[in-house]
Amino acid sequence: MIRASFILLLATLTGVVFPTARGACGAPLLTDEYKPMSALADLIKAAEPGAIILVPPGEYQGHLIIDKAITLDGRGEVVLSGGGIGTVVEILAPHVTIRSLTIRDSGEHVTGEPAAIRAEVGPVVIESNTLEGTLFGIDIREASGSIIRNNTIQGKDLEPGRRGDGIRLWWSHNCIIDNNTIHGSRDMVFWYSEDLRITNNIVTDSRYGLHFMYSHDTTIDGNVLDGNSVGIYLMYSNRITMTSNSLRNNRGASGYGIGLKDCDDIVVTSNALLANRVGIYVDNSPSSVDSTGLVESNMIAFNEIGLLATPNTHDIVLTGNAFVENEEPAATHGRGQLTSNSFSHDGRGNFWSDYAGFDHDGDGIGDLAYEPRSLFGAMLAGEPNLRLFVHSPAQQAVEFTARALPELRPTPILIDPAPLAQPPTILTAVTEPATNPLAMAAAGFGLLVIAGAAAFALGRQPTLATPAGRSTP
Amino acid sequence: MIEATHITKRFGRMTAVQDVSFTQEHGSAVALWGSNGAGKTTLIRCILGVMRCKGSAQIDGIDVRKRGRNARALVGYVPQELAFHDDVRLGAAMIFFAGLRRVGKQEAAAALKAVGLTSHERKRVRDLSGGMKQRLALAIALLADPPVIVLDEPTSNLDAAGRGEVVEMLRHLKDMNKTLLFASHRPDEVITLADRVLVLDRGRIERDTTPAELWPTEKPVQVVRLYLTMASEEDAARVLRDAGHAVHLNGQGLCVAVPRDRKAEPVHTLALHQIEVRDLEVLDDVRIPEGTS
Amino acid sequence: MSTIGLLPKHAAPPKARSFGGGTLAFARREFRDAAASRWFFLYTLAFTVLAVAVSFMSLSGTGAHGFAGFGRTTAGLLNLVMLIVPLMALTAGAGCIAGERERGTLLYLLAQPVSRTQVLLGKYLGLAAAMVCSLCIGFGISAGVLAWRAGGVGLGAFVMLVGFTALLAVAMLSIGVLLSVVSRRTAVATGVALFSWLVLVFLSDLGLMAGTLLFRLRVQEVFGLAILNPLQAFKMGVIVNMNASLDVLGPVGAYASLTFGSMLPWMLTAVMIAWTVVPLAAAVVLFARKGSV
Repeated sequence: MIRASFILLLATLTGVVFPTARGACGAPLLTDEYKPMSALADLIKAAEPGAIILVPPGEYQGHLIIDKAITLDGRGEVVLSGGGIGTVVEILAPHVTIRSLTIRDSGEHVTGEPAAIRAEVGPVVIESNTLEGTLFGIDIREASGSIIRNNTIQGKDLEPGRRGDGIRLWWSHNCIIDNNTIHGSRDMVFWYSEDLRITNNIVTDSRYGLHFMYSHDTTIDGNVLDGNSVGIYLMYSNRITMTSNSLRNNRGASGYGIGLKDCDDIVVTSNALLANRVGIYVDNSPSSVDSTGLVESNMIAFNEIGLLATPNTHDIVLTGNAFVENEEPAATHGRGQLTSNSFSHDGRGNFWSDYAGFDHDGDGIGDLAYEPRSLFGAMLAGEPNLRLFVHSPAQQAVEFTARALPELRPTPILIDPAPLAQPPTILTAVTEPATNPLAMAAAGFGLLVIAGAAAFALGRQPTLATPAGRSTP
Repeated sequence: MIEATHITKRFGRMTAVQDVSFTQEHGSAVALWGSNGAGKTTLIRCILGVMRCKGSAQIDGIDVRKRGRNARALVGYVPQELAFHDDVRLGAAMIFFAGLRRVGKQEAAAALKAVGLTSHERKRVRDLSGGMKQRLALAIALLADPPVIVLDEPTSNLDAAGRGEVVEMLRHLKDMNKTLLFASHRPDEVITLADRVLVLDRGRIERDTTPAELWPTEKPVQVVRLYLTMASEEDAARVLRDAGHAVHLNGQGLCVAVPRDRKAEPVHTLALHQIEVRDLEVLDDVRIPEGTS
Repeated sequence: MSTIGLLPKHAAPPKARSFGGGTLAFARREFRDAAASRWFFLYTLAFTVLAVAVSFMSLSGTGAHGFAGFGRTTAGLLNLVMLIVPLMALTAGAGCIAGERERGTLLYLLAQPVSRTQVLLGKYLGLAAAMVCSLCIGFGISAGVLAWRAGGVGLGAFVMLVGFTALLAVAMLSIGVLLSVVSRRTAVATGVALFSWLVLVFLSDLGLMAGTLLFRLRVQEVFGLAILNPLQAFKMGVIVNMNASLDVLGPVGAYASLTFGSMLPWMLTAVMIAWTVVPLAAAVVLFARKGSV
């Protein structure tokens, strides 16, 4: 009793609304029945602007409209279900905070773009929510200054073409998107939104991890984009800085780690671009004559193509990157060279794992320029279907022929005048062990045991000298 | 026991065996006699079902074509020279063949003992002498105690001592009531072993007879085998026939029938024609069958 | 000297061993022969050394990073396997029957209570087991290296690679054995096997590349033609089982993944099995129908 009074007192002092004593005492309400969403709407109606509503635990079904500046806090015990129809929570007032709710089951059909949370005005704060089975996740429209953080979003289990966006910003500037996790949605997409900070988000199994349309002046830092069709795709967006992101296994039809289309003044530093179909794809960027791009200190490894660029790409500076074991370190999209870009800066080029030169003077810079001339690569640029033949002796034969007959060698696709002799130390966002050594050792041992057992079973040299006492009938 | 019906085998345009039919009783010993190229080896291979041919062969009523495995299970085969992987040890070879014939190590050891090779069990096939190889082949043939033994000139690569050993063993087998079918070019072997001789000439059975009929022993004539240098045998045969001798050419030298007291005469005759005689050997009381000269 | 009379007598008439038993006997002998042979030792050594070297080299760039995308190691091992394993298997298969025929040992084997099919299948299985052993040794030791250096290939991917390599080996062995059956001499069989290796490993791919460039073949045409080559089927099979998609192989691979989806691994496995079964069946039929030894 004393405890309840204390909480009530606290509530009064802080403006927190406890709708029922039972809920306040934290005793979980475990009922199989859905509560009507109107119960929640009534609470909002009763609350003063600025109030914090601790929603009684339970599962509410229906459609909720928030039209005053309140905070909804579910403390992880509240489920709002749209019952498969329309948008679940609609925010029509600024300064709304939605916190620690589970929101699920929006409508499924794209008409009306049903979302878990839609904000028509801002700023709003959406934090620590779990969204599952919703077509769109968080849809922010003209809500500048919003903060979206610590949410977990799981898209509806639909085929990729019918999914909605995990997070979408439309004409919303100065927003912070931090530490959200999105799995199996379409994009995290930004339309006409500027001065954003997009940090530490994880997007997996979606279409575009981060997708920018006409959105400028933004920092993208520390995000992990894994197993999407494209990791980060910037279109018509200028002055974007990407640092310390990890872009891995983005292998859709285009399959870029980072894709740039008509973007000016882009800075790409200290990112890890691993095992994508293409590490960095550059299409007509920079598009303005007087702008540049900087690609510095990235780890670009194990991609089919490290850097793919349209031949009109120019004035990009690449320095201090590590191009490690890409099937093709660099390629043009179509015929041509990448020589109107700089592959070194201040006498410092990039590390290329297929560089065959030496560094005799020990200054860390290879003595010969790096000039890749892969005949197979040149053939691939002309006929992409030939990629079928990678990883085969025939591919080696083609390259060998080109080495043996210099007149067959294509012109180098790029020239790095100062290739690094050692890979630069690049701190990448995430590393993970590829193999469990113990299991591998067991596999090796197993194979040897198989060989030994077969040798014993089949290969024993028989001898006539039968041991005493044993006889064959 | 062995029944061959209209066996014909052609290699391209050459007919190696032509319409051969015969029936061999259980426990009998039949010799195939004829010059090289007469079709002895081919006939044996057809009867074993190793070669495809027209006509049919049955062993104990089992068709070698349709049920070759079962038919051959009744047969032990001894080739002219044992051809088996050279670096296999005797014991391993015996066990391998024992396995094919569903008998165990004991039988394998017994068979090796029966041919007197027990102490050579660890030797490799390549280290065996010709005689030992043939004894090994015999041991393999005798695994599982098959009722029929087929031999293709089993002694032709052996020296006199080796030959004696093998013939002695075969005589034992005959005493054990085995059915023997063998090709030979040595009259002494045929006389010792065979109850019946099939004389083959150019793939046909020319005569179906007995050794006694083939070589009546009353005439005081001996057979001398002359070993010539290569390629001169045809010339020599012509020369000797012109000189009135009965000559038999079978690829293992030239057999000439001469009166007992004029054994050097053929050598002399050939010397006159500048044909060199490398060696000669006097065969025991046998005669060349008239039909083959 | 002769103790043949002491041979054990068998009450029942001898019977041939069962089909499987006889085949197994040949398989064991072939395995032993192969395992003791110089070519087997050299191939195993070469494969092991190269596999270990590839595992080492492809890991050098990843050690600090601990991440290896589609696996350089796998790519390196793929290339190695596609070069060496067909060479091993084709030449081993080519020697299998032709060699026995040339040494004259085949006749002796066929005169035993076995069928030609048993001889062929037994030898095939023995060689296949020897090949798989050889691969297990090479892969086993390189797995040790991978474990020690902690990286390179995922366990599932590695096991998949080993399995498909074994399938490739037996498929190539089938082709080799077929060549061996139809060739009269070992030298011819080996020559044709080497040429087949050249065709399968290089010429067919290079030809298809040229065709793709010259005729602008569409993706489905390139895929359809490529899949006929067992080596391409092998490569695609390994990749699709490892990545769940062929997208690393560009538009053609993406087309295949999109069109055939989850059927694709089975299709590719079926191609490999067809390349195993069809040549072997052809070899069995041709060998059984052969008129002579």
